[in-house]
Amino acid sequence: METILKEHEKVSKKHATLAQGSIDSIDRIIGAINEARAQFENCPQSCPTQLYNLSRRVKDITSQTLDEHKDFQSTLNKYGKAIDKKWKQDITIATNANAFSEKEKILQKTIALHFIRQGKFELGNTFMREAELDISDMPQAQFVEMYQILEAIKVYDLGPALIWARSKREELERRGSSLEFQLHRLHFVQFLTNQRSEEAIIYARKNFHYFQERHLAEIQRLMGSMVYFNNLNSSPYAELLSPDAWTDIQHQFTRDFCSLLGMSWESPLFISVTVGAMALPTIIKMATIMKEKKNEWSQQDELPVEIPLPDDMRYHSIFACPVSKEQSTEENPPMMMPCGHVICKESLNKLSKANSRFKCPYCPNESTLDQAIRVHF
Amino acid sequence: MNKLNHDGLLVLEQPFVKVPLEQLKKSARTAQKQLDKDLSYVSQAVTELANKCDNEQIDPARASMTLENMVGRLQNLKRKLTDIKSEESLYVSRSRQRLEHLNGLTKIPTANSDAYTRWSRVRLDRILVDYMLREGFNETAGQLAREEGIESYVDMELFTQSKRVEQALQRFSCTEALQWCNENKSNLRKMKSTFEFNLRLQEYIELVRARKTSEAITYSRKYLTTWPTAHLKEIYQAMALLAFPSTTQCMPYKKLYDRARWDALILQFRADNFALNSLTSQPLLSVTLQAGLSALKTPMCYQPENKNINCPVCSDTLGELAEKLPLSHHVNSTIVCRLSGEIMDEDNPPMALQNGYVYSHKALKEMAAKNNNQITCPRTGAVYDQSTLKKVFVS
Repeated sequence: METILKEHEKVSKKHATLAQGSIDSIDRIIGAINEARAQFENCPQSCPTQLYNLSRRVKDITSQTLDEHKDFQSTLNKYGKAIDKKWKQDITIATNANAFSEKEKILQKTIALHFIRQGKFELGNTFMREAELDISDMPQAQFVEMYQILEAIKVYDLGPALIWARSKREELERRGSSLEFQLHRLHFVQFLTNQRSEEAIIYARKNFHYFQERHLAEIQRLMGSMVYFNNLNSSPYAELLSPDAWTDIQHQFTRDFCSLLGMSWESPLFISVTVGAMALPTIIKMATIMKEKKNEWSQQDELPVEIPLPDDMRYHSIFACPVSKEQSTEENPPMMMPCGHVICKESLNKLSKANSRFKCPYCPNESTLDQAIRVHF
Repeated sequence: MNKLNHDGLLVLEQPFVKVPLEQLKKSARTAQKQLDKDLSYVSQAVTELANKCDNEQIDPARASMTLENMVGRLQNLKRKLTDIKSEESLYVSRSRQRLEHLNGLTKIPTANSDAYTRWSRVRLDRILVDYMLREGFNETAGQLAREEGIESYVDMELFTQSKRVEQALQRFSCTEALQWCNENKSNLRKMKSTFEFNLRLQEYIELVRARKTSEAITYSRKYLTTWPTAHLKEIYQAMALLAFPSTTQCMPYKKLYDRARWDALILQFRADNFALNSLTSQPLLSVTLQAGLSALKTPMCYQPENKNINCPVCSDTLGELAEKLPLSHHVNSTIVCRLSGEIMDEDNPPMALQNGYVYSHKALKEMAAKNNNQITCPRTGAVYDQSTLKKVFVS
């Protein structure tokens, strides 16, 4: 990158001088012409001499200007070479032109959904109109509601979020979400921060009651903080005031809202493209090798190499049997021996063939086939 | 895994820095040509004028008038040059902005940082604008670029220019396309492009279709015969075409008369134009999406009971897009907790319930704490006491 930036610096400098210089040289030619004209209009017999002089000057300026331009072009070429040196790979090798054929509409729907999920409703509308997509099956209204609630939270108004959470109480609880309590908790802290302790107590009496069973410890802690309400900042409860609580509640709300819609909390298009950018170097390398063997990477059933993913972008349990190295399937499921070690069923069967009582490959424990149970990850 | 591989991530950014350079080069070439043409003309004209004056073929008053005309021409040149130079300045500063943007990435060390998420969002927006422009959704492209303030990261002008050529071809006119060929002559020659020949051939075919026989022959002499070696066979066919009416069923002449040739010309123009500007033949959206979907795809994504709502491939739309792509490959086990979504490891080991269903220690402990040490399996509804949990070893 450094070399490229340096080459660009040269381009930029040269361009600035050249832009001014070439305009100036035209002005100089015009000046020379006008000067010559004035001279020989005064003194007609000097005309040939003046014109010869002029001709020389014009030639000089012309060749100088053109040389400067050539020089600039060679600077540009050097910059281009620096770029080419960094980017040697052809990335189109990593695409299959047919993988998405006849799926244009699905791709466009994915993009429209992405715009809506980002709260870019007008953009989404423009796009759906241009791409002639059916708007009716898009969750536009839901996301408008979500963004209205989020906007309110951003200006420290928890009201709309609380109304929503109360109306979805059963569904949220079923998912193990404590969003409603977290919102009440934050509202209570808000009273404390604003030095409105009496209102805080009234609020607590009115709202915490329902959550006693599930969140007793936290409620006790919140009430305990009242003791320090004058100087909460320097009390053991100072972390209650952390501004992170407001960003955290936005994230939690977004997650729960999307989850109730049956959707991921982050745009799937964003995740896929982010993973794709990361996976690309490996796929290019693989595609290049496979092409030499006249294979297309994109037409395989399975990629030949593993593409490492960041932890938060792994969504499914993968069990690879440590004995056979094969991935588990319905027919060949993972089995746990009494010692807690897990191997695939086929590997287990092989072990038990030699001896009905066999040793675990990973510890001294001995067991029999019928003692192993199937596990579900 | 959280460390960013900067060089790897930059792999797809070649067009991002190359496009403004190609445009800058083109402008510089135009400036050079214009200057060369006008200045050489003036310098030659002045010399001629001097000679004429010396031989007394022209009087000083007339000479002065000729010079005045030249000044007019130079003023004109100056105007044109000012335009070109300001266009060049735009591409110079745009190149700079793009390099700075890429350089910004190299200063972000880890993947799980807000800085990288922000950077990736801009990347997605850029990729989407590129897709919109290629598909002709110009309004969306413009609106997205404006709303996100990434105008200098996208190539609206390039696509506006190429759209003009494409529209002309749709109207069965080669004029704009031929002019484009002329502007990019040397590069097209380097690419061994056959586009210009095909345009000329098409113009010839249209003359034959209109039964303007003598014009067609003159045209072929002037334009087709300049491509003798590479296209001899096509030139023969073209000449034989004169013998066939446009309604012929005889191959290959029926094919030569086919209007679909115009669509082929548009496609060829696009391909050559992309190559000329170092744009990838496929939109970057397809390139990254295919790689990403394949890296994420597992058999579980298509099993209703094993879907994860946060997994992109499990969603209806992307799942369908990933249909023809290969599955990801794994040599090592990764166990993801169905309760918390976290990856299980030594610090948060997998625990099996008596029914064989496995969850992470942390998630189960949390559940037990809230429910008097009772655990309800979310997938089967079975209830167990916390004390019956068994640690699972997955190597």
